[in-house]
Amino acid sequence: MRVALRIQRYNPETDRRPHWETYGVEVTPQTPVLDALHLVKDTQDGSLAFRRSCRGSICGSCAMRINGRAGLSCKQLFATLGARDGDAITVEPLANLPIIKDLVVDMTDFWAKRQAVYPWLLPAEGAPPTQEHLVAATAQQPIMDTAAEICIMCGACYSDCPMVGLDPHYLGPAALANAYRFNADPRDAGEPRRLEAVDQEHGVWRCHTIFNCVEVCPKGVNPTQAIERLKRRAVLRRLRLLPQRPG
Amino acid sequence: MYTPKTSGYWAPRAGTGMWAWVLQRLSGIVITLYLFAHILTISSALAGGASFDSLMSLLENPLILALEMPLYWAILYHGLNGVRVVLFDLGIGTRSQVAIFWGMMAVAAVLFAAGVYVAWPYIMGKPLA
Repeated sequence: MRVALRIQRYNPETDRRPHWETYGVEVTPQTPVLDALHLVKDTQDGSLAFRRSCRGSICGSCAMRINGRAGLSCKQLFATLGARDGDAITVEPLANLPIIKDLVVDMTDFWAKRQAVYPWLLPAEGAPPTQEHLVAATAQQPIMDTAAEICIMCGACYSDCPMVGLDPHYLGPAALANAYRFNADPRDAGEPRRLEAVDQEHGVWRCHTIFNCVEVCPKGVNPTQAIERLKRRAVLRRLRLLPQRPG
Repeated sequence: MYTPKTSGYWAPRAGTGMWAWVLQRLSGIVITLYLFAHILTISSALAGGASFDSLMSLLENPLILALEMPLYWAILYHGLNGVRVVLFDLGIGTRSQVAIFWGMMAVAAVLFAAGVYVAWPYIMGKPLA
């Protein structure tokens, strides 16, 4: 079938603002949007810029807004978009991030906010364990409830969160879900530091449970659930009632 | 580099959660404006019972009563969706937010129908007192 790809183009050297261009491509219902972008780049306009790497929904490079919704272009097939012969599909860069060229966005803010929540293991002070650290499956359940451990940092949630649009300093769903992922880790002792980082005006309290992040996440992460749990832990911390382990 | 000014305010294909949030804001504005109007009319009592009575008789107009029905809906919506959001804060329902939304809306619909049933004769012109 033949579809029209309406792609938002922007060349920083010649354009003052982005504009739309339409490319006709021959695809099947099983073609991923990413493959169609490659078709355009290979056969119609070699100057089209977009990020991609693994084409298997695991690297998180190719997130963009397709038909007004953030997602991975390698995962969005024309069939899942409900596209029929002759339909037009819009492809834009992720929102809430500056555009470098065409579909390539500058993710500096996104990474900086992730860095701000100490997204790494902060073990307890003292001598390192002398033997293997065994963790019971039940002890990992809180993390797995939210699926925060499988975040691929593609930025889809950050793009479609209206609170990030309204408050550019808001840490955003991905960073907060990552904060929860390490707070809930049974080997970690860094929860007080992370709560300090997220219990603030531009942290967990900016989340208004809009659930756009949950809807667009290509990996099934539930950042809202993670943020709500962080909120409860933050309240307990303020009340000096913080128990040792998250719940 | 181009920084879009507004693209992130709105997810064009928003789901239930986003509409629930937008309507929560709008109904909140409606209720706040009503509250000020309410305080204003009540404060007419400061100028004496007569001025209050004359204003009240004006507000007993069936048209005003009819306008109170959308207000009633706004309050029902805001309150019940507010309960939904409080449930999330208590750790309930982040996995079933859409179902909870429609459950709350079903409760709102029943209460709204009951309210309209009670108010209907007065809207049609039956005197209030």
